Formats: sequence, structure tokens, C-alpha cells
Amino acid sequence: MASELPVNPAALREEVKSKYREVARNPHGEFHFHTGRRAAARLGYERTLVERMPDAAVESFAGVANPFSLRPLQPGEKVVDAGAGAGFDCFMAAQQVGPQGAIVGVDMLDEMLRKARATAHAMGLRNVEFREGLLEALPVDDGWADAVISNGVINLCADKRVAFGEIRRVLRPGGWLQFADIANGKPVPASALRNVDLWTA
Amino acid sequence: MLQQAGFVDVRVGEPCDTFAGASGEGKARLFEVYGYPFLARKPG
Repeated sequence: MASELPVNPAALREEVKSKYREVARNPHGEFHFHTGRRAAARLGYERTLVERMPDAAVESFAGVANPFSLRPLQPGEKVVDAGAGAGFDCFMAAQQVGPQGAIVGVDMLDEMLRKARATAHAMGLRNVEFREGLLEALPVDDGWADAVISNGVINLCADKRVAFGEIRRVLRPGGWLQFADIANGKPVPASALRNVDLWTA
Repeated sequence: MLQQAGFVDVRVGEPCDTFAGASGEGKARLFEVYGYPFLARKPG
């Protein structure tokens, strides 16, 4: 129930939109996290796959770890990227699943979606599609995906139980959730958890 | 939380010092924040 959540989901969503809209528009700006090729190298992405991508595919990447490190995607798999941003992980996924596979990137930010679609078109990727939506209401049919990927996004959802429920819904039985996210070793004070501004700080 | 959501075979990978060298490094150090890869499977 929303009343049990530390922050208002809608307020948090607006804060997240404000931060990542800037990452889409001004990817080389100053953020509290690394972006682009520097971030991809730090997080251990396969260098040869990243190098062959155009700058537009990489520059707004703001992930926190590598969702492919524990399980590479398999040729022909159908993949959902929950919180796809400008599409970097979708383009990484496309190189792994090949032309017989399919990728659906979901994001709530129009600026990210426009950038991702333009890049997919420029890269000639016909099996990568981007849809507007929320993690809490993924615009994907039940059981469609062989794998769901996500990177640094679930921690920004106020109600993670709903997000994980949606991911489970769109996965086929036996399908894989492989995501990257942050976790803290020391507890964050309750007062900080209730402060929306600090969720993206 | 993943198991509560109905996932099985949950694995957590090695931590990544995500914020090292970025302006968020100070806060990350304060709360020991690292990035992790996670893997889980929906029961078949």
C-alpha cells in the first residue's frame, strides 16, 4: 500500500524525471555518478561491444553495474529493459541476442525515448523497440520475455514489490531477471529515506 | 525481497565501486554504497 511507503511515488517519479531529463539533454554535464563510455568501462562492460557503438548510444548511459556479468543473453532471446534510458543496455543486448532476438526498452522519459529511438534507427536495429511506461506497469504482455534486464532503476522505485511483481508477470516461466542496482552496507536514517530530494542525490 | 516476489535461484555478484571518482563518492562511502549485479529466475 502506498501509505506504507517512505515517499510519495508520484513525487519521487517527478524528482527522477528531473534528474535524468538532464542526463538525456546534457550527458556530459556534472552528475553525482559517472556517465557514458567512462561509466561503461568502470562497470566492466565488454570493451569491444561498447567501442562499436556510436556516441549517441553510450553518452547518456548512467548504470551502476553490469547486468550481463552473471549471465550473458542467449541468441534469439526476447528481452525487456525496465528503465531503458537512452538505450545503451538495449543496444548491448541486441548484440548478444542477434537478429532473431527482440528487445523492448521501457522508459517513462520522453527525452530518453526520443534519443533511444533515433539511435536504434541510426544503428539499423529493427528488433529493438522503445515503449513509454513505468516499471510498476510495464507495457508488455504476460510471459513475453525470456529475460528482463534493468540497471540502476529499481532503487528509484518507491514500491519495489510492485516493480518486481510486474517483472515477474512479463517473464515466461523459467525466464531470467538480471539486473544491476546499488545497495548500502550501512543503514540510511529514516529521515533521509523520507526525503525525496535525497533519493537521487 | 526477490524471493518474496516469487523468484528463485537468486545470486548476487561482486560489488562494483560505482561512484569512485564521481562527485557522489562521499555519500557513497558514508553509507557503503556499491553497485551489484543480481540474477534470479522465475520458477518454470
